[in-house]
Order: sequence, then structure tokens, then C-alpha cells
Amino acid sequence: MRALIVEDEPLLNEELKEQLLDEKFIVDTTETFQQARSLVEAEEYDLVLLDLGLPDGNGLDLLKIIKKNYEDTVVVILTARGEVEDKVKGLELGSDDYLAKPFAMAELRARIHAVLRRRFKINENEISIDKLLLNLNHMAVSYANKALDVTETEYKILRYLMLNKNKTITRIALSEHIWGSKVDDRFSLDFINSHMKNLRKKLSEAGAKTLIETVYGVGYKLESNEA
Amino acid sequence: MKLNNKILLGNLILSVVIFLLTAIGMYFLVIDTVYDELDNHLLQHKMDIIEQVQGEPESLKEIQKLGGLGSYEWVDISIYEGRAKESTNYYSTLDTTRSADDETLETYRRLASVITVDGNEYSIEIYEEVAAWQNISRTILLSVLAGLLIWILMLYMVNQIVFEKILTPFYKTVDTLESILNPTDFNEQFPESTTFEINVLNEALNTMMGQIRTSFEDQKKFIQNASHELLTPLSIIRQKAEKILSNSDQLDRQTVETANEIQQTAVRLSRLSNALLNISRVENKQFVLNEQVDIRAVTTEALDELQDFFSLKNISLEKEFCAELLVLGNKELIHSAIYNILQNAVKFSPEKSKITITITTGAGQNKIVVADEGPGIPEELKKSLFDRFKKGNRHINELGQDNGNGLGLSLVKSICKLHGFSYKAENKNGAGAEVTLIF
Repeated sequence: MRALIVEDEPLLNEELKEQLLDEKFIVDTTETFQQARSLVEAEEYDLVLLDLGLPDGNGLDLLKIIKKNYEDTVVVILTARGEVEDKVKGLELGSDDYLAKPFAMAELRARIHAVLRRRFKINENEISIDKLLLNLNHMAVSYANKALDVTETEYKILRYLMLNKNKTITRIALSEHIWGSKVDDRFSLDFINSHMKNLRKKLSEAGAKTLIETVYGVGYKLESNEA
Repeated sequence: MKLNNKILLGNLILSVVIFLLTAIGMYFLVIDTVYDELDNHLLQHKMDIIEQVQGEPESLKEIQKLGGLGSYEWVDISIYEGRAKESTNYYSTLDTTRSADDETLETYRRLASVITVDGNEYSIEIYEEVAAWQNISRTILLSVLAGLLIWILMLYMVNQIVFEKILTPFYKTVDTLESILNPTDFNEQFPESTTFEINVLNEALNTMMGQIRTSFEDQKKFIQNASHELLTPLSIIRQKAEKILSNSDQLDRQTVETANEIQQTAVRLSRLSNALLNISRVENKQFVLNEQVDIRAVTTEALDELQDFFSLKNISLEKEFCAELLVLGNKELIHSAIYNILQNAVKFSPEKSKITITITTGAGQNKIVVADEGPGIPEELKKSLFDRFKKGNRHINELGQDNGNGLGLSLVKSICKLHGFSYKAENKNGAGAEVTLIF
């Protein structure tokens, strides 16, 4: 799949590129509006990561051009302008998702997976690791064909870890994913622990003992041996 | 009082005062003139008689007879018995009757004098009725005053029309100023006028409005740029730290922990700058306040978002929601105010305690009250609870943790100020704090 990164900050651009290459995308990058415009007019991309605050133009205009030429291109807006109007405008113009800076890479990865699956109507909207099966569309989790009764928060944690398998997920990224960035970080971190305790208990009762690994002092990791 | 009414009233009062003074002055002047004229008339009469009797002394008898016949004007001549200088004239005004039959007194002017005819001295008294003269003088007086009165009334009406016309641009300016709710939404220009002062006023207003708009725009741009310029580098720091952490297997524990701290600090810093920028945006009135916000729905929504924390802390919730409460404002902001208050309540509530949320309606009593059973508001914080970066040190120690950046309630404060809501926080009698928003 082809991806374009439009981001004027070189370090961030490079970082995003590395992430997408990891996800097996073929990646083009640009730092300017003009160059981005000629790229999106010429090529069809499956995914565009779009920064709104470009030095030589408004990212929203670029979004219009992309959606006009290739309706199926998935556009995820990245912006540091945390204004709701921008978000609403972007979604109205057809962007598929919206991430406010600074975001966790894990969050971006999860969003990209979800959006691409939705966009390309992948039939099996389920992801599995070992015998653990999770439906991305609705709250359904099973282990070895036995349904697990999880709470909404536990489902969100599990889905997030599965979409980011083999990656360490920090507790702060997890907290942001579940409660958004409004909630006080230090306050919410303890709650992650209790949720995780409950989730692990349920998993181990179902027979999946060591699926979620604790990275001490940092966060969690869901290991898959299947590669 | 409106300016043109004030001017008109001033004119009217001045006119009436002048009118009254003129009336009194005219009255005395006319009376004086009438009596002067009467006296002249009487004197002339006397001179005529003297001239007549000096030419023909024998005609005195006839004058006596004829002079006594008149009713408005008559002459009494009799032998003079006293001693007086011939030339002395005595004028006087007296009320008397012409004949014994008359019952009503009339006012007469009398000239009493002494004349000498053929060496004999006669006293002569010439009478003339004043009434006829007074009629004339009254007519003159009234017609002059009536003219003056009409003049004043016309002046008043003309003034009104002229003022109305001259002051219209001024009133337009005043009305426009009155209608401005937010200087940034105002894009009109105050028009030019043919009146110098109004021109000066309108030009000054145009310049000032322009300045307000520009500085507002500048500030808005600054806030946007600042957030962009701050958050993008923070984003990089965060992602670099995250990258280190994602390969935690190959790293020693100290490196991992340090990277984690870097990441957490970057996150906290970005939230802090977001919170500050949010407050600036609210204080700069960069939000539209025209939505009908259902307070119950917004509260329920915020409770849903915080549901996890309620259940994990085993906090029971008591809701007393009245009938529908709609408030005009910005939904996102009101949500965020209520969310912050609720989050604070959860934060300071001990395990297994209770939080009571009450929404009531009524005149001046549209409010939401959030009461918890936590430690309450410490004494040293009571006054500054809603100010920026204020948090209770004692609190942090008691709970063994820092509780956020201290900007939550400050955001609540600026949201309330923007909407014109009032807010208060107090300690309940038993235990716990109680925060109230009055819409």
C-alpha cells in the first residue's frame, strides 16, 4: 500500500515515515503544500497523513483536492491546532480520522489499522493473536472459541494492544486512548493498573496466561509468537 | 434623558422664564405709558381751557356747564378758596362714581389745579376714565404676549425637527455602539457626517474598533501559532521517547525508566500548554455562545466519560435532576466545565464514598451542585481555588500524589465568566466540598 506523509516538521516527518515503513507501506514524504499538491494530483495513495498547519498553505485545501481526485484515499489529519472547528471541518470535508498533536505512535497505528479496515471493507473484521480473537467492529472477544465477558474499557485496552502487537504500549498512551487527553494523566494511570489486573484475571481464567507482558515502570506489551 | 430632549427642555425653560419676565416688564411699561399719556391728555385739556378763558373770560360759565356733562371725561370748576401756586398740577388716581345713582366704582385719573380768570382764582378738576385706556393697553399687552408665546411654541417645534435632523447621525452611532456585543464580530464602519464633531467621533470610533479587531486577530493568531510551535516539537520528543520504549527488551532498566519519564513530561507539558491555550481562547471569546445546551444531557455525557473512575473507586452516585434545564451557550465549553468539576469530585473522593449531583431550576436558581465526601477545600485555598496554578500543598501530601496541573478550575472560572454564570465552592457542614454553578 502507498502512503504519503505531509508534515512540515522534518523530524516528525522522518519518524512517521519509519513507522509506516514498519507497517509495510511504500512511503512518499513532503514538507510543503505545493509539492504535496503535485504529488496527490499525480498519484493515487491509499493513505495520506496530513498536517493542517503547513507553511505555504492550508492542509484543508489539500484535503479537498485529494477527496476530489481519489475518493477512496484514507486521510488522517494530524494537527497541533487543537481547535474543534478544524476537526469538524476536516471530517466534513471527508477526512477519515483526526489526531491532535502530540499523539502516541501506537494511537496512530491503531487508527490507521481501524480506518483502513473500514475503508477497504475487510470482511473478517477480526484480529487474532494465538487463540485470542477480537472483533474490531463490536465488543466481542473470545479465547479458543470461548467468549470472554469483558467490560468496555477492557475491550478497548485489548483492542489497542492487539492492533499494536509486539510493541510496548506506555500506560500514558493507553490512558489517552481510553479516556482522551482531558483526563488528568497522573490521576488516571492508577486506574489503568486496576483495569489491567481485571483483564488479566479474565484472560488467565480462559487459559491465556502470559499473553500480556508488563514492561516494568513503562507499560504493557502483547506478544505474538506467530510473527 | 436623550440629548435632544435635554436641549429642547433647556430651551423651553429658558423661553418660559424670558416670557414671564417680558410679560411682567411689558405690563409695567404699558401701565406707565398709559398713565403718562393720560396725564398728558389731562394737561392738554387744562391748557385748552386756560387758553379759552383767557381769550373770552365770559365763556367760563359755559365751560363749567359743558364740562360737567361728559361721563368719561368731565371738568369741575369752582371758586378756589385756599392759597396755592397757580402753576401746580396735582395728579391722582381714584375710584369714584360719576353720579350718585351709579353703584359700581370706576377708576378715574384726576388733574387738580388752580387757574386765575379775571383776577379770580378757580379750582379746576379734570377727570378722565382710565378703563378705556386700560382696555387698549390690555389688548396691546395680550397681543404682544400671544405673539411671543406662538413664537416660543414654533421655536420649540422647529428646534425639535432641526435637532432630530442634525442629531440623527449621532444617534445612529450611539445605536450601533449599543448593538455591539463583541467588538470582533463588528465589521461595519461608522459613516461620515456633515457635522464636524460627529465626524471626529465616528473616525475615532472607526480607528479604535479597527485596533481592537487587529489586536484581537493578532492574539488569536498568536495563540494558534504558539500552540502549533509548541506542540509540534513536543510531539517529536514524545515520539522519540516512545521509540526508545518500544524496543525496551534490548535496553537496561534505567534507560527505559528515563525514557518513560521524558515521555510523561512531554505529555504533561503538552496538556499544560493545551489547557493554557484553551483558557486564553475562552478569555478571548473565540467561541460562539448560541447553542441551546441541555444541562442534564451534558452532565450525563460527562458522567459516562468518567464512569470508569466512579466504578473503580466504588463511588456511588446520587442524581437529583429536575425537569429539563436549557442554557444558552457553547456546548463544548459547558461540557468541559462540568467535566472538570466532576473529575475533581472523583479525584478527591475517598473509596466507597458518595457524590451527589443536583440540578434544579427556578428563577435565578438554575444551577448544578456537585457535592462529594472528600476532605473538603483547605482553608488557605478557599479564596484562590479558581485561580491559575493554585493547588493545596497539604492535599497533595495527604493523598500522596500530585493531582494535575491546577488549571481545571481556572478553566471552569473563565468558562463561567464568558457565559455570565456564577460559581462557588464551599465546604459542607459534615464533610466534603460542594461546587455550584448558577446559570
